[in-house]
Formats: sequence, structure tokens, C-alpha cells
Amino acid sequence: MQPVTSSVSSSVKPKSKLWKSISTHRYLYMMLLPCVIFFLIFSYIPLGGLLMAFKDYKFNAGILGSPWVGLKYFEAFFNSYEAKQLIRNTLIISGIKLFLYLPFPIILALMFNEIRSKWFKNFSQSILYLPHFLSWVVVMGLTQRILAPDTGLLNEIIAKLGGDGSTFYMMEANYFYQVMFSSFVWKSIGWDSIIYMAAIAGVSPDLYEAAKIDGASKLREIWHITLPSIAPTVVILFILSLGSILSAGFDQIYMLRTPGNMHLADILDTYIIKVGLQQGQYGYATAVGMMQGIIGFILVILANRISRKVSDTSLW
Amino acid sequence: MRKKWGKLVAIPLVVTSLLAGCSNAGNNEPAANNAPSSTEAPADKPATWIADRKIKGLIFMGTDDQTSDINPEILAEIKKRTGIEYEVEIMKANKAIEGLTAGIASGDLPDFISFYLNNSGRQEMPVVLKAAREGMFTDLTPFLKDTKVYSKYLEKDYLPIDTNYGVMFRPEFNGSTYFVHMNINREGGKAGKLISGPYIRKDIAEALKIDPSSIKTHEQLYDLAKKIQAGNFKDNNGNPVIPIGPGYWGGKELGQIFSDLQWGDTDQWIYQGKDGKILHEIQTPVAMKKVEFMQKMLKEKLMHPEFFTVDQSRAEEGALNGSWAIVGDMHSYLPFNQDLHYLPLGPFNDVEGNPYQMQVDFKGAGGAWAIPATTKKPEEIVKFADFMASREGKILWQYGLEGRDYTLDDKGNPIPKQEVLDLKASNGAESQKLGFAGAGNYWGELFGKTDTDPMADYGEENYGDKLTGATGIGLKAQEFWKWDEKVANAITVDGYTPKSFLSEFPTGTDLTEAFTNYKDSLVKAYYSDSKEEAQKILDGALKQMQAANLDGYLKLLEEKNSDPKTKIKFKPSR
Repeated sequence: MQPVTSSVSSSVKPKSKLWKSISTHRYLYMMLLPCVIFFLIFSYIPLGGLLMAFKDYKFNAGILGSPWVGLKYFEAFFNSYEAKQLIRNTLIISGIKLFLYLPFPIILALMFNEIRSKWFKNFSQSILYLPHFLSWVVVMGLTQRILAPDTGLLNEIIAKLGGDGSTFYMMEANYFYQVMFSSFVWKSIGWDSIIYMAAIAGVSPDLYEAAKIDGASKLREIWHITLPSIAPTVVILFILSLGSILSAGFDQIYMLRTPGNMHLADILDTYIIKVGLQQGQYGYATAVGMMQGIIGFILVILANRISRKVSDTSLW
Repeated sequence: MRKKWGKLVAIPLVVTSLLAGCSNAGNNEPAANNAPSSTEAPADKPATWIADRKIKGLIFMGTDDQTSDINPEILAEIKKRTGIEYEVEIMKANKAIEGLTAGIASGDLPDFISFYLNNSGRQEMPVVLKAAREGMFTDLTPFLKDTKVYSKYLEKDYLPIDTNYGVMFRPEFNGSTYFVHMNINREGGKAGKLISGPYIRKDIAEALKIDPSSIKTHEQLYDLAKKIQAGNFKDNNGNPVIPIGPGYWGGKELGQIFSDLQWGDTDQWIYQGKDGKILHEIQTPVAMKKVEFMQKMLKEKLMHPEFFTVDQSRAEEGALNGSWAIVGDMHSYLPFNQDLHYLPLGPFNDVEGNPYQMQVDFKGAGGAWAIPATTKKPEEIVKFADFMASREGKILWQYGLEGRDYTLDDKGNPIPKQEVLDLKASNGAESQKLGFAGAGNYWGELFGKTDTDPMADYGEENYGDKLTGATGIGLKAQEFWKWDEKVANAITVDGYTPKSFLSEFPTGTDLTEAFTNYKDSLVKAYYSDSKEEAQKILDGALKQMQAANLDGYLKLLEEKNSDPKTKIKFKPSR
């Protein structure tokens, strides 16, 4: 059926239509306003600083008054001795955190969902959420103590069992990814599982009942009902996290870095802090940071398009 | 649809670019009144009167070193004498340099700023230099001329050369100066009495019948560590000791305990050999020799396994519990060792096998302040700094208030009150609240600690010596180490550190990066499994340095060293 459009309504300009709509929903817009202001002040206005990536920033000239240098900083970065290693390390670490880590909170949410004892469910959830509230400084401090050679908990257990308890895990590059990933999982898994728990809670119980009548086992229920039902949530979260593919997490890696693992642990985030804040190269650091953002932005758009074509789930 | 998206993205971007871009951090406007004003005080005010105003400072230093808590009674006294309402704020940052970089970029600076600056090679220097070149700071030379204490900075041979030509009166500034370097002694060539370096547990040295001063080389240190290991000594908790523990302040590369394996100063590692050639450590056999030695020490468990990385709390705990037979690095002022149950070890020979000879800087320096170009009447800030550096000001921030904290002897010198000394000994945190340096609160050093000569100014070298009969802190270690003998044979030097010129070198940033990488590569090599692997690590570090034009920098150092105004000191002063 064709929509009926009156000649009066078609003559109303879109602008006044918009204002009418805003006026009608003014209270909702007012509620939205603080949020818009927040993003304007803390996310959009600082975007103007990106101009520094193309300027030789002078204190006395400000950002606009400083002379243009074109793509000089980008060129300098890609020609620098460390660029290749920094990009490679960043991609590996963020890749591990994005792809390898992805199923962990989902599995945990599925496990929580199957716990029948309410008391035990609450207790275990609280225990697993707790690490999220600890800062990386504390978490890495604990990790360092646990993994210390000779005196660390792990080495003491190994020594008690007759092994060599002198391994310096933090100094050996061979253990870097394991330590990085396990500490990341420990800190993040509980908190990240909350959103999947919410998605699982939204699955219609009718589906499970129908499956049960059809004789489906628990695993079949999870595979054929729970996972497909939460798939859009998983896809959306994954697309959003792609935006930070070149941001591997400064705090954790900064604390984890030792001379022994530095060739794996030096990433773009730590590099930006080093050149930007410790050496005062504002333009150069901005250029590297901007590059991170642009690549993340492109990836989000691409992933969103692919997802829309393949699975009908997308951000917009 | 595509157009709509374009608008949605572009409009906020344009608006925000304009908003952020319009910020003019530095503000080119000259300060309101840069001409020195009259020094005369109004008739009804004291001679030290400056102006009825507030002076606010932003301090880019750690909270361990500085505080914004100033005793209100002392602040009132300052107000009474100078008219100045003084207030400082500490910029909190992960590292002081990060705070400084961000603070200057913000452009929102108060009346003055203060920051770390041991010498012109320190990492703060390029940041403040850029700010000075771009008109962020006030030229202080005209105001310094008009002062009583700071005018000495303009006298010939008063300042050490690095302060004079590297920090303050740089040739590029044509007589102008934008920072005032602090902590300059009135007289040159004065040796400090702090005995720093490795210390050995006295009972262990006695049990092994070792004279700590007889240990001079890394080979002797190795033998000593072996003996300690075989001796089965225990710490306060009954656990076996570790022969060589980390420095008291945490794990890092230490210079003094391995000084015959250091090509120049630790963290500089640039030295002029006997043949007159200036080389980096990595270009010499010393680097591999050091790596092999450390590998051996770590493998045989003669050193703490986290010697280079352990955190301060564990390092300190080990020293306090006697868990380290040898503490890699500490000093004679630490309160826990005033009974000298740890004895100074060494001193060690230098890298060429020469026995230790004390080297004293003509004058040291540390910390600096600057006045932003936006500050109104900057001459008043300089006058206030001059007051703080005068004898009257110094007594105020070092000895507190007359009557409350000290009395005057017949020569007019301050004698601290016994109750202040008692409070300081029993409760350091409480005594700090009294608000002066003698009681442990160092806020006054920012403007006041320069042109120092405590013996001439107060009749004692250290706060309270007159009362305690100069049995003060660190004296036992000083006697044991035979400080007097060493001072008698000391040489005085005046020069720049080798890394001081990195900021003017075209590839200085890359080279700084490469030097930092060398420091980390060394530690990585110590922990590698074989000599070959270690060599590979060092080769990688050398390659990075060469890519950053190490050879060019060493050539520049040769040129600088041949100019008397930019002489380089290759050995550490200690």
C-alpha cells in the first residue's frame, strides 16, 4: 500500500518539521543535553588539537598560528628506526586482546547462566567482577610479586615440587604474551561478561522450552538458541572494539615492560607518551596518535559494512 | 544520505578545530611592565618590603621533594616583611617531565614555575628551551642586575660553565636569560659529605676478616660475594642473605659498585680513553666484559635476581632486614644506618684501572625557576626570590621563626631549639608542619637555596650542628671512609656532561632514544642465556645508535671539549 501524503504536509519544510519534532520531545532532548555537552567538551573540542599533527607547534603562536609542516611527522614516524617494531607489537597485542580474548567473557556468561544456586552465582560473580576495580598498577604489582624469581609464589611452588624456582618470568620474552594475556583476562573477564549476561537474560524462555520439548541437550540449547540470540550483541561489541585496534592498552603494557621483553612490549601508546610528554614533541606525538585513530575509524566502518552484508547486524 | 553524513562529521570538526585552534597558549603580548621598578620601600614598611600582592607558583617536581603545605605563621611573617602572599601548587604527574611538558603546552601558567634541572643535559632542558625561544618566558637579566644576591650570577667566574653557557646565558640569547639555575655554592670546589655507593654488613665483613676499603675491583667483589655465599649468613628473619642486593631505592644499573666496568658515568657511558678518543661504551670491549661478569654473578646467585628491576619497597625492606650482605647503593644520611652496621665498601677503581680519586664539581647546581611572559610586574617576583636567597630570607625558611623555633647567639647566628630537634627525631611528619628546611620542609629552596655558604651565614655547616656538637648525620661513615684524606687529594672540575648537547644535535631525539635503548639492552643482555645472544643484543643497540648518527655526535663532543666554554667532564663527580 502506498503511503498517503497530503499536499499540506508535503509543503512543510523539513527544517520546521525538525523544530516541531524537537519541540514535541523537548523534555527528552533536555535529558539528552548533558550527554551531548559532555561529548562536545571532552570528545569533540579536543579533536581540534589534531591540527598539531600537521603543524610545527609554537607556544607563542598557538595551534592555528603555528606554521604548517604537511605530513612531515607521519613521514618521520614511518622512516624511524622503531616504527615497524612498534606497529607490529601493537597489532599483535591488540589482536590478542580483540580476537583471542573475545570468547572468554562469552563463555563465562554462559557458565553463569547455567548456575542454579543463586547464592553461589552472586558470590562467584562478585569475585570475578572485583579485579575490574583494581588499577593496572595494583594488578601488575601483584603479578610481579607472584612471578618473582626465587621468592614469588609460582617459583616457590615449582621449587617445592622439585623444579627450578629461579625463572624470572617478567624478564624473559618467552613468557611475555602469556603473562600479558592471563593478567588481562583475570582483570577484564568478569566485568566484560555483564553485557553478555544481559543479552542472555533477554532470550525468550519459550525458545528453551520448545527446545526441551524437542529433546535438546544443554549444549544444544546453548549452541542453537543462546549463541545465535546474543550474536548481534557480540558483533556490535566486536565492531566497536575494532576502533582501538592500534591502542593496545597503555597502563598494563607500561607496567609489564622490562628490558627483557621490551622488543615485544614497546607499543604505539607507550611511544606516544615517551615522545609527546617526556620529550615535548607535541606535533609528532599527535601525528602518531591520530594515525591510531584514523586506522581504527576505517576498520570500524569496514567491519560494519561487512557485518551488515553478511549478518544483518550493524551499528548503523 | 552521504551528504548528510558528511555534514554531520564535518561541522563539529570545523567548529572544534576553530575552538581548539584559537587557543593561543603562549600569548605573544609582552608582560605588562618589564622595566625594573624602584627598589625603595614605603616609609611605613620594612626595608624588605616588595609589594602588596600575591605570588603564585606552579612546581613541576615530585611530592617527595616539594610540598605546597607551608606553615601559616611563616607565611604571615613573609607577608609582614615583604607584603607578598606566597602560594605554590605542585603539578601532579606520573613523571615531573610529563607535568612540565603538559603544563607549558597548556599556556596557563601562574606567576612563576619551578622545575628540576641538574644540568643542561637533563630532559627538562629541551622543553623549557623551546618555551624560552618561543617567547614564553620573561628575560630576567635586567631584573637580576637590580638584586643583592642574584646579581652575583652576572659576575665573572661565579657560575659553573654549564649553568652559565648551557642553562642561563646561552650564546643564542645574547645576554638574556630565561631561567635561574639554583643550588649554586658561594665558594667553588666544595666537596659534599655524603658517602654514597655500596655498603657491606659490618658483622659479615668482620666475620670474613675483610677490610671493606680493600675491595677495589669487580674481581675482588666476585671473590667477596663467593665468600659471603659460602659463609651461610642469615638476615634478621633467619633467612639466608643474598651476597649483593640492589640499591636501597630499588633496582637499577649502578655505577659505583661496578665503577671499573663503567665507561664514564652510569647512564652517560661516553668517555675519553687514554688515547684521547671519545667513544661510547658499546664501541669498547668494556660493554661485553660487563655483560659477561653480570651473567656470571646472576648465574651463580651472587646477585639479587631482580637487581636491576626490583621495586623500592622490597629493596628497602631487604636492606632494613639485613637480607643483602652488600647493599648495592645507599648513602650515609639514611637514618637506619647511623650506627654504621653497614660499612662503606670500596671505593672502586675506574675503568682504566686507576685507583679512586675524588672529583669535585667546581659548583654543582640543581632546580631552576622561570617567570612566564604573561606575569605582571615580573621584577617583583625576582625581588621576592632575592629576599628568599638573602641571609634574612634563608634563616626564615631554614630555621623558622625566632622565638618559636630558634634563638640567636651573640654573633647573631640562629641556634635551633632543642624541642624542635627532639620533635624532628621522634616524629618527622609532625616536625615538617613547622614549615622550614631544618625541620624537614624544603619549600623555601625553590627561590632561596643558592649562593649557599652555611658556615659563613649561620656559623654551622648543617642545621643543628652547634647543638649536637657536629656529631650530625653521616659523620661515622665519613670518618670510616676517610673523607678528609680523600678531599685533600680531590681534583676540581667544571664542565658539561657528555649528553648535554643532545638537544642541539640534529638527530638528538633519535640518539636519545638509542641511548635509552642501550641502557635497556644492557640489562637484557645480562639476563640472556649465552655470550653470543648477549653480543647480538648489543649489536642491535649499536646499530640503532649508528642509525641515529652516534659518530657525528661523538665528533661534536670532540669539538665541544676543545672549547674552554664547553669542556666536558667524562668522569662522574664523587
